[in-house]
Amino acid sequence: MSVGHVSREFEAAGIPTVIIMSNVFRGRTLAMKPARVLFTPNIMGRPVSAPFDTERQRHVLQEALKLLETAKKPETTLLLPEPYRVAPR
Amino acid sequence: MPGETFKEYVDSLSYGSRTDLLFKFLKYTPEADAEVFVQSLLRELGNAMDTGDVSALSELVYLAQLAAYSPPNEEHRWKYDDAPFATLKKPLSEMRVGLLTSSGHHVAGTDNTTESLAKYSQEEATEHISEFGRARPMLSAIPIDTPADKLDVLQPGYDIRAAVTDRNTVMPIDRMKEMAADGVIGEFAETAYSFIGVTSQLRLLRENAPEWAKKVQEEGWEAAVLVPV
Repeated sequence: MSVGHVSREFEAAGIPTVIIMSNVFRGRTLAMKPARVLFTPNIMGRPVSAPFDTERQRHVLQEALKLLETAKKPETTLLLPEPYRVAPR
Repeated sequence: MPGETFKEYVDSLSYGSRTDLLFKFLKYTPEADAEVFVQSLLRELGNAMDTGDVSALSELVYLAQLAAYSPPNEEHRWKYDDAPFATLKKPLSEMRVGLLTSSGHHVAGTDNTTESLAKYSQEEATEHISEFGRARPMLSAIPIDTPADKLDVLQPGYDIRAAVTDRNTVMPIDRMKEMAADGVIGEFAETAYSFIGVTSQLRLLRENAPEWAKKVQEEGWEAAVLVPV
């Protein structure tokens, strides 16, 4: 909720935003009509990835930035299909 | 405890005598579903001990959290009819992009609270979470060249273990630097920000969020990546 409020204020001020967050909170987030959200199928507290999964972190950032740049209307969301994983060794 | 029911046990995981922020969601899980979850957790734990593969374990927790935190037909306290939307005025590769999270990261040795709540350890903070819920939020400035070992995390709302182990799990400073180096974004704003997401929503909404928008605009942010926890 907190970041949802920040996002709305930034958007109203003219600053485009993209939210990266765990899909477990999708209900309360969508109720706030966010501009752009990249949902990840990750457990709470690890919205980007598991620790040291730099490959997944890069992928999430790339997808989020793509969403930021290409969204044409509010409430543009995407759920990443890749399941949460422990960082490959 | 003698005579304790299963429901009382799982409730104690949520800011009770057995607080576990990864599993506090069980308080909001119907009891019958929680019983099935615990049984399934034990089964997958046993499997993982034989195979070393924890993917089924984490999928089980993810789906249970999703069911608890985003149930169908949920009533929402914060819902809006309008949807503010700012458009990009130039390609992202020419824009200065900032990073802001609610992860509770802050430079080690600084107070990331407005009412001296940093006197609490993470464990103590969970015991005093209502004080955080009433407090005005504070934005902690984190220069993006801050070494990882110079950051601390205080945030009583979530399991911070991953955030402490690798900041990029919730505050992807290092990956944003790479996005700038690769030319995906024009520039990564030199100060990132974090606050404690457990805070007074009314104060955040009425006072802080507008101030923060003005602040980052003055710092030249043209777009923002936001990460809640």
